[in-house]
Amino acid sequence: MSWLSPHIATQIVDFSSAMLLLTCFAIVAQRRLSACVDLFALQSLFLAMTAALVAFFTGTRHIYIAAALTVVVKVIVIPRVLKGVIERLNVTRELVMRINIPASLLICGALVMIAFFITQPIIPFGHLLTRDSLAIALAIVLIGFFTMISRQKAVTQLIAFLVMENGLFLGATAATYGMPLIVELGVFFDVLVAALIAGIYTNRLQDAFDSVDTTHLTELKE
Amino acid sequence: MITDQSIFQAIALTLAQAIVLISVAPAIVGLIRKVKARLQCRQGAGIFQPYADLRKLFRKQPVVSTTASWIFTATPYIVFASTLTAGLLVPVFASQMPLNFAGNILAFVYLLALGTFFLILAGLDAGSSFGGMGSSRESIVASLTEPAMIMAIFAIALAAGSTNLSTIVHKTALLEGIVTDPSSHVMALAALFIVTLAETGRVPVDNPATHLELTMIHEAMVLEYSGRYLAVMEWASGIKLLVFLTLIANVFVPWGIATRVTPVALSIGLAVYVVKVAGLAVLIGTIECMFAKLRLFRVPDLLGVAFILALLGLLFFYILRG
Repeated sequence: MSWLSPHIATQIVDFSSAMLLLTCFAIVAQRRLSACVDLFALQSLFLAMTAALVAFFTGTRHIYIAAALTVVVKVIVIPRVLKGVIERLNVTRELVMRINIPASLLICGALVMIAFFITQPIIPFGHLLTRDSLAIALAIVLIGFFTMISRQKAVTQLIAFLVMENGLFLGATAATYGMPLIVELGVFFDVLVAALIAGIYTNRLQDAFDSVDTTHLTELKE
Repeated sequence: MITDQSIFQAIALTLAQAIVLISVAPAIVGLIRKVKARLQCRQGAGIFQPYADLRKLFRKQPVVSTTASWIFTATPYIVFASTLTAGLLVPVFASQMPLNFAGNILAFVYLLALGTFFLILAGLDAGSSFGGMGSSRESIVASLTEPAMIMAIFAIALAAGSTNLSTIVHKTALLEGIVTDPSSHVMALAALFIVTLAETGRVPVDNPATHLELTMIHEAMVLEYSGRYLAVMEWASGIKLLVFLTLIANVFVPWGIATRVTPVALSIGLAVYVVKVAGLAVLIGTIECMFAKLRLFRVPDLLGVAFILALLGLLFFYILRG
């Protein structure tokens, strides 16, 4: 956009990717599963907003389609599926976690710093308007990965997986102004299917063990 | 060069700021209550009800426990004075306050901490079991909010290159010589907002509307107060809330504040200030309706989030500018 200076455009995109990181921390600190799902939906909304902003500032039309798909798939469909799973499981909060919340938060803080330091050498070479978003995207992937490891319930692990995917999408948008549309479509389909399968798998886990604690999967059972 | 005119102007500005803080505070408390009532489908008392409450309390005869020492009767005035002094260090409607030579962020934080310290002492002083319990809880919360609060303001102070609140607000308002960085700005803002909820005893941490021993923190400490002492205490807690809202409004979104001392700029600044603070009050009222109070042992989790966010806000500055 010619009427807006590139500096301001960068700041707006940075602002909306910072909101993504903020919701990440909220998900890590949250115990109630349904609130985690709501926060994931909110994060996806910020992701769609970031993608739409990038599309607007760069004039890359096909990112609009990806942003619209994000809203449909990650803000509406997947949260509904997850809410259904949570309702059926009749679990409202996660009480078992391997690492308690304050320690998790500290580790996540360290992960964010690592992400920023890793991308530090790359940033000066980039002339894209989304330079800082790359670091945030990497931080979100790392936090998602860490949450997947540190939580024991299948539902939170699924949410963490989706958070990781959000980070990857942000990274793709930030680094290359979006992948080709056919790739985006493929990824969206994959994520949707993965979420559905994980939802069914969580239900089966509940039927088999009366719990969605994934540590039970290591036990041998007839 | 200090002239008679500039001294007169400085005194007038400081007095005006004190009057604005003292007079607007009860209305903000009333506004939050009104928003909560409306969202709960109640009519609710008017926005100006707290003024009537204060007048009623000032007329009543105070009752003081026979075991209480001088600390008990001195505390309301100390809390009121320290909170108001802290408030005078924060630019309210003009970006350069005459009192800014007197202190920076650290003075601000520890003036508030002085009030909290005496509040804790007074809670213990009367010898009631609830007061001691409230004091113990308040000291947990206060010790956890302090680092988050200092770091959140430091994140902004680094960008402005000064720990003086007037300078920070002035430079940010004029976008003069500083590059604000959205990520650290957002992180620090979120941290300071959580700290505000905790420090002023709003819902996720404390419930200002109950007198239930399981939930109260601030209310437990002021339980023994009555009459004019209670009025001063309530007024001081209203001012503390307003000072925090002012801090959020003017340090993070200072645009609209008067950067020069002219009547037009000052009146625009005042109008913008009232709108911003009222908006924040509506936001707090909405949040109080949406969330339940946290269990006391969950409060460190929430304040842990605030601390980490503030820390990240601080570090982003070095990493992104480094």
